[in-house]
Amino acid sequence: MQRQPLALNVNGEPRQVLCDPRWSLLDVLRGPLALRGTHRGCDTGRCGACTVILDHRSVPACLLLALSCEGSEVLTVEGLATNGSLHPLQRALVEHGGIQCGFCTPGMVMAALALLERNPRANSQDIRSGLAGNLCRCTGYVKIVEAVGAAARELAAVPARTERDEAAVAASGSA
Amino acid sequence: MRPFEYFAPESLADTLQIFSDFGPEARPIAGGTDLVLQMRMGELAPRALVNLTRVAELRGSPTSDGFPYFLSALTTLQKLCQSESIRMRFPALAEAAATMASGQVRNLATVGGNLCNAAPSADLAAILLALGAIARVVGPRGERRIPLEGFFLGPGRTVLASDELLLGLEIPDPVGHSVYLKHSLRACMDIAIVGVAVSLHRVDGRCASASIAMGAVAPTPIRASAAEAELAGERLTPDRIERAARAAAAESRPIDDMRASAWYRRRMVEVLTRRALTSVAEAEPGSGPNGLH
Amino acid sequence: MGASRSDGDHGSRLARDRQTVVGKRLPKLDAPEKATGRAVYVHDVRLPGMLEARILYSRFAHARILNLDIERASRVPGVKAIVTGADNPAARFGYGKDNTPLKADLVRSLRDELAAVAAVDADAAQEALELIEVEYEPLPGVFDAAAALAEGAPLVHPERGTNLFTTYEYEHGEPDEAATDSDVVLEASFSLPYVVHAAMETSAIVAAFDSRGRLTIHSSTQIPFLLQRDLAEALGLEGSDVRVLQPTIGGAFGRGLDIYPFEPIAALLARKSGRPVRISFSRREEFLAAPVRQPAQVHIRAGARRDGSLTFREVDALLDIGAYVSWGTVTPLVMLETTASLYRVPHVRFRARCVYTNNPVTGAVRGYGNPQSTFFVETMMDRLAEALGWDPLDFRMHNANRPQEQTPQGLKITSCGLKECFEALASRRDGQLTSESDGRSMEGSDPHGGLFAPSSTVRGIGFAATLNVGGGARIYRSDGCGATVKVDDFGHATLVTGSTEIGQGSETALAQMVAEVLGLPIERVSVVNSDTDLKPWDVGVHASRTTFIAGQAAYLAALDARRQILETAAEMLGTQPEQLVPRDGLIVSVDGAHSIPLGKAVRGRHFRPDGKIVVGEGWYDPPTSLVDKASYKGNISAAYSFGAQMAEVEVDRQTGKVRVLRLVCAHDIGRAINPMAVEGQIEGGAQMGLGYALTEELIVKDGRVMNPDFADYHLFTAADMPQIETVLIETEDPLGPFGAKGVGEMGGTPTAAAVANAIYDALGVRLTTLPMTPERVLQALDRAEGG
Repeated sequence: MQRQPLALNVNGEPRQVLCDPRWSLLDVLRGPLALRGTHRGCDTGRCGACTVILDHRSVPACLLLALSCEGSEVLTVEGLATNGSLHPLQRALVEHGGIQCGFCTPGMVMAALALLERNPRANSQDIRSGLAGNLCRCTGYVKIVEAVGAAARELAAVPARTERDEAAVAASGSA
Repeated sequence: MRPFEYFAPESLADTLQIFSDFGPEARPIAGGTDLVLQMRMGELAPRALVNLTRVAELRGSPTSDGFPYFLSALTTLQKLCQSESIRMRFPALAEAAATMASGQVRNLATVGGNLCNAAPSADLAAILLALGAIARVVGPRGERRIPLEGFFLGPGRTVLASDELLLGLEIPDPVGHSVYLKHSLRACMDIAIVGVAVSLHRVDGRCASASIAMGAVAPTPIRASAAEAELAGERLTPDRIERAARAAAAESRPIDDMRASAWYRRRMVEVLTRRALTSVAEAEPGSGPNGLH
Repeated sequence: MGASRSDGDHGSRLARDRQTVVGKRLPKLDAPEKATGRAVYVHDVRLPGMLEARILYSRFAHARILNLDIERASRVPGVKAIVTGADNPAARFGYGKDNTPLKADLVRSLRDELAAVAAVDADAAQEALELIEVEYEPLPGVFDAAAALAEGAPLVHPERGTNLFTTYEYEHGEPDEAATDSDVVLEASFSLPYVVHAAMETSAIVAAFDSRGRLTIHSSTQIPFLLQRDLAEALGLEGSDVRVLQPTIGGAFGRGLDIYPFEPIAALLARKSGRPVRISFSRREEFLAAPVRQPAQVHIRAGARRDGSLTFREVDALLDIGAYVSWGTVTPLVMLETTASLYRVPHVRFRARCVYTNNPVTGAVRGYGNPQSTFFVETMMDRLAEALGWDPLDFRMHNANRPQEQTPQGLKITSCGLKECFEALASRRDGQLTSESDGRSMEGSDPHGGLFAPSSTVRGIGFAATLNVGGGARIYRSDGCGATVKVDDFGHATLVTGSTEIGQGSETALAQMVAEVLGLPIERVSVVNSDTDLKPWDVGVHASRTTFIAGQAAYLAALDARRQILETAAEMLGTQPEQLVPRDGLIVSVDGAHSIPLGKAVRGRHFRPDGKIVVGEGWYDPPTSLVDKASYKGNISAAYSFGAQMAEVEVDRQTGKVRVLRLVCAHDIGRAINPMAVEGQIEGGAQMGLGYALTEELIVKDGRVMNPDFADYHLFTAADMPQIETVLIETEDPLGPFGAKGVGEMGGTPTAAAVANAIYDALGVRLTTLPMTPERVLQALDRAEGG
């Protein structure tokens, strides 16, 4: 099939690729963009392993046709750690034993990030509902939920987003 | 997946032109959460995909605050769960949306997509049926309004012509209380084994209007008219509720499938209808439309 | 020179309160890489020129292949190689030597591989696949084990003359006499389903030949050395020409315990195309073609006396093993172990028959027969208790296995904390839900809000225990593992171990042991475990053996390295090795007077004319025996782990829906090298156990998988999980490294039984078919109420 140009912003950088219209956002991330931290668990939007943040909303990258992301902002797990140090969510998962095989982890991190952006005071009930779309076969979720709760408390102690970020989240309607 | 041409028009006119050019070989796509899967499995192979999410007239359609309420087809399921105005006016609708798929999928999936996919188990269809929603449809021949009862033809089929689009739903202002109960194996992520939606208004203690809609027990979501008839003009006593629940079970037409047997589904219709009616009956008359808690 | 295991060594006996690394809740070494998405899984491997391959599976469950034409397929642009049955090497592979990479004349199941295409991308491979023309002559199939044994049933492997693959028969004591001596004899039939591993990473392999004809594969196997040997045999190669690399593994749970056709198929395509080839399963393919748990029909009779003692158990099991045999066919041995040795039972008879059908190929799934057998044994224990008027927990305590006992089957139990596990449950049964400080817990969830009308729900509590091998399992001639520890001039140690990290945390636990022995902080220990060219032999990651056996090997290797370092340090400090201990990266004298950085001692050892490097070596093969082939008696493991779980459920009487409110998991693991990791294993195991109990079933009709996706194969999500409390009982096993025993499989083995017993407590009905879906619960309730 004829490839079409696709321009989007990935982890803060403008990227352009030639894209087969049949490709999903996940295909583009793992293929031409070589960002393989986002994993393919089921390709049917039912396991959460491919969760990324698109225009401030958590989405399953496997279900999005790449071309429909023209002009969008995508945040993947590779875009989280700043200056070599882990994001508090990543650090919390490491410290609380919330990572075993690690295959679900990037999707879990991004889903949790979106959840906490939307609801910084999420309690463990909210976290479990919010992460219900992310399957894990190793941990039984116990330490993942603990970790996200700990990260939430740490993040809540930090100054909030800028007004511009707040407006962007509000405009997108949801996280 | 078969090759296709991809379009992302920005006006309704351009959109309708594409449908006119391609005929039934063009399919609209919004969230794509059903369509992309069907294309990957080879169940559908459209020659053109038309992304609706940038069409000014569809995007611009506000989810209004007036009467009747207009719910744009492009509203995502997550917006349904989280929007304050929807939770206030139609809490059962918000609750129904919250049981569907996952947060990630709900951020993409739209009301229009869910309804036009026309699954017999569609949770939104059941509650919208009970709320008396009317579909507003647009095509090259103009606009038309279709009550939701007449919208679904069978599994995967609606009355929409291949060059028509669902603009959204008019939902009458709710009077009384409504609730949606979904029976599934897990807390979320599951297709309903049975879904029952109830909307009920009482005047002076008697039922002035009752809508009971059921999903996953017939080729389309259906109203339980015999059950509704049991309630019309009556007080909501436990006995009356029991009769309505049994009537709903009797008029359901479930099948045996991998998720459940017809026997079990019929039982669940009875149980859920009874519970839904009971919770609505127990709701304080002046406490607002939230009948569940 | 290796060190031998003796009672006089220091490490394990180092007082617990002086241990600085073992016993600590340390994060896993590989966690940061995984958290950032940098970990490389087989799906992420990219080699220059790598091709993508797809497999063509049979359209019929049983058929003759009349013709297979790849002409049109081979002309698709981008296709570089196609293989069919004509490309099969001569040897058959598999535990039963009944399988070939591709099938030529006969297909025996819907997952039989007919052809495979390697192309420049997946689309081209798929396109070519669809152009392969196959002419079938469908044959009648057999899809049920009992039917497969009946006269006139279609034969899956006609040359065998029967569909019966093997029968296990066992007896200890005099079960028939014991039955007549019992005050109560009960019997029941159980039906156990297909379930799948559902690891988040699907099966995959990359195969590449180098210019010398040496094959390297990138695999998520659990048995790199057995796979090396099996692949070599299957392909007609020398074992020395096969190298197995293991990238980060995204979950295994027993899936990687065999050689499967897609593995030699990838190698055949690589050889034919001259390029690296990757096969990676889609999720749908994973459901359709990856191995599954054997479904079983089981009949059990059990008896006891009024004084509470068990008299006998008699079990007859019929297992459907599918079209080809794998190591999963040995699961009856574990079913036998539970039947004969969980609790003290003086008389046991056991029979299991493994039967070929045209159903999906089965394999090893976490627990390996134990979840199944614990379900029926523990349901009967509950029934016996009730029939005798005993409290279910007291009855179990009365019959619990004890330390230093040998079971009639010959299992030599050393450490045993089963009694303490029950006591932990007892103290929590009657009290309210425990606070955070007693154990890790998760608040209960209430996902249904007001859906459960209060008057229609009832609550119940149920118990079940488990016995699991915890010191290896000799089902193969060797149960050994090797390790080397190299230490460098900077005081950094590298452990090279034969075992494999499959996500369970073995790498970190082993590193902790090495760090403890060498007095190093954990940051100064690296682990290499992913290359058969580098690492010493290990039989594989299974049977919860890694902490114990790979741990002992690592421990011995570290001790050996330490001996070498202390020898040199003593020379450099002018003292005796016995006067020195490693601590905090230094070698210090016990009187505190002298110290030298550990790295300096290492350097001192080789920086001289007659220098030597510091490499410690360890090999550990536990003092156990293969079961006797005739009697199935013998001591298969060097230690046994125990556990007991309590489930609190709430059942909706009108819908049959079961909600588990709380699960308390008390497990005797000998010693928790890393308590956080041990809890994680139990919690993860519990998630599988809960699914097995309530929601997971692979539905197979006439050999066809009906629910090959996560929409209709239901895993417990975060929102479904109950509050889980883990209680670790440490009995300090005498043979385990630092007293540790295995835990990997135990978390999920008693769960289904505990939940079933809780449902009985709540409703008064017993379910003997898994999973206990709402529909099945309601049916049982209706029957009980005469409906």
